[in-house]
Amino acid sequence: MNARTALSVLFRLVKDTFRQSMAAGICWLLMGVSTICILGCLSVSVSGPRSLTPPGENATFLPRFDKEAQDPHKLQVSGVAVADGTLSLAFGAVRVAVARDIPSAVHFLQLILAAGVADTLGLLLTLIWTAGFLPGFLAPQAVSVLLAKPVPRWALLAGKYLGVLAFVAAQAAYFVGGTWLALGLRTGVWDPTYLLSIPLLLLQFAVFFSFSLLLAVCSRSTVVCVSGSIAFWAVCWAINFGRHAVMAVDPRSGYPAVAGCGKFSPLAVRLADIGYWIMPKPVDLGCLSFDALGAQTNFRPILEHSGGLSLGLSVLTSMLFTIYLLIAAERQFAKMDY
Amino acid sequence: MPRPIVEFQKVCKTYPTGLLRRRAIHALRDVSFCVPRGCVFGLLGPNRAGKTTLVKALLSICRPTSGTILRLGRALSDRGTLAGVGYLHESPAFPRYLTARSLLDYYGSLALLSGRELAERIPRLLDEVGLADRAGEPVAAYSKGMLQRLALAQALVNDPELLVLDEPTEGMDLSARKLLHRVIIRRKKEGKTAIVVSHSMADVGRLCDEAAVLRGGQVVFRGSLAELIGQSPADVDADALQDALEPIYAGAEKGTVPICAKHPPGRSGKWGLSPFPPPGART
Repeated sequence: MNARTALSVLFRLVKDTFRQSMAAGICWLLMGVSTICILGCLSVSVSGPRSLTPPGENATFLPRFDKEAQDPHKLQVSGVAVADGTLSLAFGAVRVAVARDIPSAVHFLQLILAAGVADTLGLLLTLIWTAGFLPGFLAPQAVSVLLAKPVPRWALLAGKYLGVLAFVAAQAAYFVGGTWLALGLRTGVWDPTYLLSIPLLLLQFAVFFSFSLLLAVCSRSTVVCVSGSIAFWAVCWAINFGRHAVMAVDPRSGYPAVAGCGKFSPLAVRLADIGYWIMPKPVDLGCLSFDALGAQTNFRPILEHSGGLSLGLSVLTSMLFTIYLLIAAERQFAKMDY
Repeated sequence: MPRPIVEFQKVCKTYPTGLLRRRAIHALRDVSFCVPRGCVFGLLGPNRAGKTTLVKALLSICRPTSGTILRLGRALSDRGTLAGVGYLHESPAFPRYLTARSLLDYYGSLALLSGRELAERIPRLLDEVGLADRAGEPVAAYSKGMLQRLALAQALVNDPELLVLDEPTEGMDLSARKLLHRVIIRRKKEGKTAIVVSHSMADVGRLCDEAAVLRGGQVVFRGSLAELIGQSPADVDADALQDALEPIYAGAEKGTVPICAKHPPGRSGKWGLSPFPPPGART
């Protein structure tokens, strides 16, 4: 099979996955959830200073609740601005006072949408809803006819995997693009860094869906795929967070809040480290999203970048584990009898 | 003499079973025979004889534990030969969200057919199997008979050199059965080959020129239907075949007939003339 034919086959399988998602209603379900969020964003308005940050400088301002901000004389002398804005949701039904300028308030909202809604809730829901795609495809009565076609087995598996990724990419693009557009229209803030969350969400999904793929090949059971991939995500999250917790309480870590407040045996530290470097790292991938979206202007860092946290290496090792899972799934599929 | 389209040489298939997978089920044991080009070949035998396993091994759906299978003259590892093979599964599970037209387009593209070829073939096939007026409906709305017609169209979409039909008439009504017979006979006239796995002696008697009978994973007969019944080709019919096969099938249950019965009895109770060819023998 030449490259052109392989691409054509992959395209057919991707197209079939989209049709499957539409027929199963998952496409419309996810689009419905995204549409609610987009409509929510269309109901947002922000008032306040246009910008508190001159180009190339750090912001110097006082929140309006600050005692100093109550004294107009002092403010006049110091020349420090007062952030006095309101974020209103649901066409003004809910009003929240914000001690930020408009771009910063919108950025804050985008972070909530990217990290809270899409990265956690969206990722888990998509993992659950797409987990049934592969077991159905690999059911003996369905796959037998496909295996009797002159297409290599790896192409069938790769086509379906890429199909699900393409579907999730389209959904992520709809959610992120739609909310970005809605917030931009309502507030006039067009921050393109928010769009970076599309590939980052897809990266996270690709990592965890590869485990679902392996489970589907081995078990052909939707229940196993759903529960297994959620359990895998939880285990990876626990290992990732646990390792950072172990590192953070180490007296040498320099992490101000908790350094030296606990003690772990060298064996525990070693085990946490081994598990961390082997398994995918959802917490670190979340940190990567936060870094990429410039969350440090709105939140304190979740973890100090000390104790051996290297986001580049973290992503690389997560992707290596994903590649290993994909190869294992392909090997298993290649030798299976139907 | 043209080379056989399919050759089985000492094919064995063992499935591990049990909790520790230490026990084994021998689905195929030293199966050796050939299928000549241009004939309709019946693969017969009682349930659990290994017919479907043999078909699956031929189509690379499962792998033989040992032995060699040549498909269209090439080794199984050459998946390109599957472009010349059509397969009708005994109970196909097609994606229910596809329409008949999109289903044929999907399976045809996986058979590496170009868009132009598909555009030309699909309407003709749908017309041939009598689904042209329902081509836009989702498969979920189809009856079992309609699904079987669609499965036949799917198997024919690449105009295969070799058509493998596993229980093709299961669930088919009379007109669908006639359609299947017509298609197979037309293809035979075109010099194409079909392997038919069936329990229906009427279909076998009507369609097949030659047959292999499997029992307990072994070939217990290989020859023409006339040889199977021990009479002239004109006498081949469902009853004669039934009579000839009954003792073999019964032997499978009772273990009274030797596993390599060389002379299965005919309708008259006389033994046939066709000895089971030695392993590796070619027709």
